Amino acid sequence: MKKIIGTVILATIVMASTAQAAVQTIKAEVNGMVCAFCAQGIDKKLRALPQIATVYVNLKHKIVTVELKDGQTLLESTVKNVVKDAGYDVVNIQTVDQTVQQIKESNGPCN
Amino acid sequence: MNNNEKKLRAVALAITWLAVSPPGHAAPMGFKDSWMVMGDFDPNWRDLYANYAFTPQDAFGVDTLYMRSDDKLQTLDLVDATYTRLIHRWNLPDAQANFWFMGGLGEARRYDQRSGLSDTKWILSPGLQFDYETARVYFAAATQFYRAEQINHDMASLRTGFSFYETEFDETQPWFIIEARRMHDLSDKTEITPMLRLINKNYFIEAGVNNSRQFLFNFMYTL
Repeated sequence: MKKIIGTVILATIVMASTAQAAVQTIKAEVNGMVCAFCAQGIDKKLRALPQIATVYVNLKHKIVTVELKDGQTLLESTVKNVVKDAGYDVVNIQTVDQTVQQIKESNGPCN
Repeated sequence: MNNNEKKLRAVALAITWLAVSPPGHAAPMGFKDSWMVMGDFDPNWRDLYANYAFTPQDAFGVDTLYMRSDDKLQTLDLVDATYTRLIHRWNLPDAQANFWFMGGLGEARRYDQRSGLSDTKWILSPGLQFDYETARVYFAAATQFYRAEQINHDMASLRTGFSFYETEFDETQPWFIIEARRMHDLSDKTEITPMLRLINKNYFIEAGVNNSRQFLFNFMYTL
């Protein structure tokens, strides 16, 4: 009986942590991103990741957002490293419930 | 200092230059694992340059450069291997500043019509650049030394300008840029060139006419 209870608890913990890791959209605030030509490395490198469905770079608000494909997971640190390799600094990163489209719309028609 | 010491000093200097050298345009290298192709063209200065960034701060490349004096009687054709180093980058909330070292070691063929002199020499071309930009303003100061035995064609330039408006990442942004450039022993005047710059996420181009009424065209492209 103890063994069954232990297994159930373990399974619950694993499922809960998996659900937390199954992020859909990661949003990073990036310092130094002032020019599209210079920031293209961020866009190209993120698009090359197999987990990513959409990449959105906003120069005005200095944000980079990636929306993941269904069922895919990605560590925030992976996004952070890609941005760093492209020559920029991530000053804030978070997983959000919004889609890229919703974030685009919330930034207004010009951005 | 004896001859051997002089040679050792020259070799050490060359190695130092090569080990620390950087670029000379807006941003003389791309992101890690990318190729960047750059070109600067006017009747007296034709430069085609490609490099590969093997780290976020370092790139190796190849450069071919043609320089001509204002009187069209002196020319220098240069081919060199280059190394570009991002010495320091300041990523600020609304701006970026960079300090670059760029340099090359190669072969230069000099031709002087007045004397009929034509010879080929090893040439070193170390340089430094500082640039600062926001989404609306740009400033850069650069100098590059072109030195070989009996050759000194050092170049210095200042650039500044502004963008007409901010754009989205997928849009093309127009800028007005003005450049002042001097080239030692090739021109007695300061070349002033107002330019229109277009920046897109895929390309970077500039075109203008200098104070000698010569057309100038620059580009950068990253693969």
